[in-house]
Amino acid sequence: MHSNKAADARRQRFDRQVGIYHQDMYRYAAWLSRDKTIAEDVVQEALLRAWKSLDALRDDSSAKQWLLTIVRRENARYFERKRLETVDIDNLTASQAALLAEQPDEALDEMRLAIYELEDDYREPLVLQVLMGFSTNEIAEQMGLKQGAVLTRLHRARAKLKDQMARS
Amino acid sequence: MNCEEYREAIATDPSFDGGAGHLNECAACQQYRSDMQALDQRISRALAIDVPELQVPELPELSTSKSELSTSKSELSTSKSGLSTSKSGLSTSKSDKVVALHRRQLAPQTWFAMAATVVVAALLGVRLVGTGIEYDSLADEILAHLDGEPNALRVTDVAITAKRLNAVVPADIALMDHSAGLITYAQTCPIGGRDVPHLVIQGERGPVTILLMPEEKISGPQRLSGDNVNGIILPVGNGSIAIIGERDERLDRIEESVLKSVVWST
Repeated sequence: MHSNKAADARRQRFDRQVGIYHQDMYRYAAWLSRDKTIAEDVVQEALLRAWKSLDALRDDSSAKQWLLTIVRRENARYFERKRLETVDIDNLTASQAALLAEQPDEALDEMRLAIYELEDDYREPLVLQVLMGFSTNEIAEQMGLKQGAVLTRLHRARAKLKDQMARS
Repeated sequence: MNCEEYREAIATDPSFDGGAGHLNECAACQQYRSDMQALDQRISRALAIDVPELQVPELPELSTSKSELSTSKSELSTSKSGLSTSKSGLSTSKSDKVVALHRRQLAPQTWFAMAATVVVAALLGVRLVGTGIEYDSLADEILAHLDGEPNALRVTDVAITAKRLNAVVPADIALMDHSAGLITYAQTCPIGGRDVPHLVIQGERGPVTILLMPEEKISGPQRLSGDNVNGIILPVGNGSIAIIGERDERLDRIEESVLKSVVWST
């Protein structure tokens, strides 16, 4: 009886956190992998891992960072396993192309392509800051970088996107 | 604050609200700020891609021990999950299109190929790692890794922060406290094709390296020795922990404190 209650409470806690942060997990995975199908796989694996280690999450206020850290690790594991080659922008798979053709909005399409073409090192901190609302300190922690490196990457990422938009 | 400093700050974070004194006097920087904020809005909209409907994977049920999980198909139905029944709560953005997210299964031939690869690798007795370098053993790979990261072995009394420790040893890998000793270095490093926490604590004779390898299962303790170093890889649950110090370092005490301070999460 008692263990059923505990299991139910655990499941409810998991559902609550995943319900809140599922969109963030998916979008983070999609922009890390630049592939919607891979993002789905990564999120599935991340959810499984999060479930197994839920008891290690001591404070639910840290759940977002915790879940995104798991996504980041699962994404790295995925690419480690698959040894995927560099994406050729002129030869995308359907699920890679799907990321670029979200909504029929030319201005957004251009921006999405420019973000897609950013180097991983620049794209990830930008996603964490703009989409996830992380501070530069939190980004540094998440990526295992010094804050100065994060600031530099954010600066360069925006400069590249600004140039790209000015050219198009 | 001058124009260069202000633009630097705005370009790293367009919501930066400092430098008001400069901004009030500089029309060019006002325009720059406005441009960067518009750019960020566009970035934000572009990044907010559609999210498929959440379908929770098959979750193993808890067994008698909290840390031990076993798969039970009776509780694996995703349709019963509280998440899929609360669809509206999951789609917080009205603009998000909802499409089905399906869990893909590996084909039997893929499993067979993976199993065959493992068997062949085991028969060859070599370790293939991400760099393409082959090592005869886990011990060899660890020693080679230490050679490649000499900056980790600094004698210092400055401990890393708890935040840093938590970032390198995230809760989904292990729970670790500071009781192992003075932790002065923490980095995520590739060992055996996986990213693992690489820590350094200060021993009696000098820095001592600790590698936490939750997925590197070994059958028994393995001694390792290199140029002026000695160490041991200890089996811990389904993983292992490597502890390497100076040749004359007393590792037994460190082993005890490290083992007490680490609990695998998976």
